[in-house]
Amino acid sequence: MSGTGGSAAGGRVVVTGLGLVGAWGLGLEPLAAALLAGEPLAGPVDRGAAASVPPRAGRGVEVAARVPPDLSLEPWLSRREARRMSPPSRFAVAAGRMALGAAGLPVGPGAGADPPDPDLGVVFATAYGASSFTQGMLDQAIDEEPEAMSPYLFMESVANAPAGQAAIHCRAGGPNETLCQREAGPPAAVGRGAALVAAGRARRVLAGAVEEITPLLLSVLDRFGALSARPRPFDRRRDGFLAAEGSTLLLLERDDDARARGAEPLAAVRARGGAFDPTAPRNDWGRGGAAVAAAIARGLAREGLGPGDVDAVVSGASGARRGDRFEAELLRELFGPAGPPPVLAPKRVTGEYGGAYLAAALLALAGRPAGPAAGFSEPDPELGVVPHGGGAVQGVSRVLVTGSAAGGSAAWVILESPGTVQR
Amino acid sequence: MRARTRAVVTGVGVVSAWGWGREPFWDGISGGGTAIGPFSRFDHAGYRTHVAGEVPPPPSSLPEAIPGWPRLSWADRFAVAAAREALAEAGLLAAAGPSPDLAAAGLFFASSTGGMLEGEEFYLRLRGAAAGRAALRWIATQPVSSPAEAVARAFGVAGPVETVSSACASGTIALGRALDALRSGEAELALAGGADSLCRTTYGGFNSLRSVDEEPCRPFLRERGGLSIGEGGAVLVLETAERAAARGARVLAELTGAGSTSDAGHMTAPHPEGAGAARALAAALADARVEPAEVAFVNAHGTGTPLNDVAEGRALAAVLGNGAAPVAVTSIKGAVGHLLGSAGAVEAAATVLSLARGTVPPTAGRGELDPETGVDLVRTARVAAPGVAVSLNLAFGGCNAALVFAPAAADRAAAPAAG
Repeated sequence: MSGTGGSAAGGRVVVTGLGLVGAWGLGLEPLAAALLAGEPLAGPVDRGAAASVPPRAGRGVEVAARVPPDLSLEPWLSRREARRMSPPSRFAVAAGRMALGAAGLPVGPGAGADPPDPDLGVVFATAYGASSFTQGMLDQAIDEEPEAMSPYLFMESVANAPAGQAAIHCRAGGPNETLCQREAGPPAAVGRGAALVAAGRARRVLAGAVEEITPLLLSVLDRFGALSARPRPFDRRRDGFLAAEGSTLLLLERDDDARARGAEPLAAVRARGGAFDPTAPRNDWGRGGAAVAAAIARGLAREGLGPGDVDAVVSGASGARRGDRFEAELLRELFGPAGPPPVLAPKRVTGEYGGAYLAAALLALAGRPAGPAAGFSEPDPELGVVPHGGGAVQGVSRVLVTGSAAGGSAAWVILESPGTVQR
Repeated sequence: MRARTRAVVTGVGVVSAWGWGREPFWDGISGGGTAIGPFSRFDHAGYRTHVAGEVPPPPSSLPEAIPGWPRLSWADRFAVAAAREALAEAGLLAAAGPSPDLAAAGLFFASSTGGMLEGEEFYLRLRGAAAGRAALRWIATQPVSSPAEAVARAFGVAGPVETVSSACASGTIALGRALDALRSGEAELALAGGADSLCRTTYGGFNSLRSVDEEPCRPFLRERGGLSIGEGGAVLVLETAERAAARGARVLAELTGAGSTSDAGHMTAPHPEGAGAARALAAALADARVEPAEVAFVNAHGTGTPLNDVAEGRALAAVLGNGAAPVAVTSIKGAVGHLLGSAGAVEAAATVLSLARGTVPPTAGRGELDPETGVDLVRTARVAAPGVAVSLNLAFGGCNAALVFAPAAADRAAAPAAG
């Protein structure tokens, strides 16, 4: 039986490139600066004339971490290319090319060049897909007639449109998979991408997440009571998450491939897995954190690791009331009486969706200091987990990244320093 | 090469336009007729076309047997009903409560639109285009992952649960994902499948592309004028050969290979020569460690659109064309329609049933074979030739995915083979 992690025949699966598009702009450094500042990347969302759900009396969160509408995606995406794409497709193609470039791989001659690279695969997670285009189609049917629905909007409204556009524009002819697993999607996609490389189904994979937040979606999440303008992961007064859009993509490949072409790995994907909490209500988190922790412990054991080998946690905790409770139970059970190693909760800054919090794991492995837990002031005695307060996180060579979704799905990956000796 | 974990199918459940169950599905696709016709899932008076493969009302016993039925979307119901039938056939359905067998099982599911049909109702009401209050319950089942989560909750699946939404290749990719999970040791038991319901978005969208036939679709025929959208779902129980042998489960077929690619060419049109599909098929055969000449029949994507059927025929010829005899090709889409994200799951179920029962079902549709497709089309049910079977899908976004199934054999089920 082979391992479930990144142990490919030709060596480990490593991360050699990172592409990021989000509320902070383009690339890692502006995001790293935002994480260091610790404040949420929240900006106002104008509901405008578009249909939205009226807020509950006395509530109403109208902020999100959105990609600035005037943000230029050049040089990664030209205006001409962008014209034929939905917002999430734009984010993903730009992030994909950025990741390839960061990995020292050719960004590609653009669409139409033949043949595509059969060794480059794509695994994207999205929670909601291109919802502005789906809404646009329905508006056409309502305001005109069903026959007025636009084929362009339809083509770009399907969940895998960003993955299809990334294939076209990054010349990725390998496996092309889109996962819809809500908040568990980003680590699930990285894990699946690593598995494709490990199994030899693709030599390189662009893996990560892409998301779009529309005023309608924001109003629906708000009506469900999910949102906060001031997310406070693990705080007793936490009252929701910040919705976020953008794209985060990692270029995964085999260690020996990377080294053969002189690329410097940022991290290795050591282990991965998923589990489901059947106690979860349809659109909330359940009380089955202990069982998911046991599944993670089994997954670690298959790779010859134990919880004590984890130096830091980049938690998917977002400030969601019951989501953080689930996450805290998971961490308490996994790490036992010794307690967890430093727990980072970068979604306080990046918000939920789009996968930007994955970057915090790469920054920690690079020895970069973590930002303060801004807004955290009151530990929750029911949770028993306090987030890292900022500053250096010493000696991090192995990070557990978690993601637990409303509805019950959970996924996790272990990222480790590329120089870590396998044990 | 070292021994590799083998994945066998021990249960199949199907919901289709032929009804709620595997047997009506098999009888329907075997008979040569079509279940595509008038439908009432939503008001389609303003749309260009007026036929679909609609699932008939459920048997009266089903809503009582499935917990929480009234609050499930149609796609959720198809998923849970198909899973229930598959688990029952595999002997894994607990009399009550969660199945202990499923506590470590994986669930690899597929859907294009999840609860979109119900979400549309919410939006129409919100916009004042439909009567009634836009209550939140209409969007409670909207996530594409909702059908998978409904299955996991209903039966206590507690291993990895993932939903693939790669358009019309989703189901095939999800089965490939399950195969990898069994091989890697991530799970020893997995449910794999998909579910989708008819909805305005996909119905209107394919009509906007002028891709929908006004009549029930006619795959590979000269007269074909596009696809027919269907609904339903299918679930396969997959487990390691060792696990199946240890518990004495009946093996219906073996999933021996999977492959997937992207055309990286166009968002909606297949590559004219089916180049990406041919690479997916070749990758699946290599993964299964079989030669093209060992393929007995192909359950084709065969949507009935002019472009797909020619491109697919060329892909099949490119990979399988050197055999002594042409390979038999069938498409069940003329009988049940195109189930979009769950098409690959339903077609994998048909392929497994074909192998288990030794018959290749015919392709429904009136007209003459289009010689440009170059396929040996199965027009009346045939005895399956010895060999393996392929299920192939080509999708929006340029996705292509293929699976290889081998017939169950008593000697093969008993012991792991050296690869």
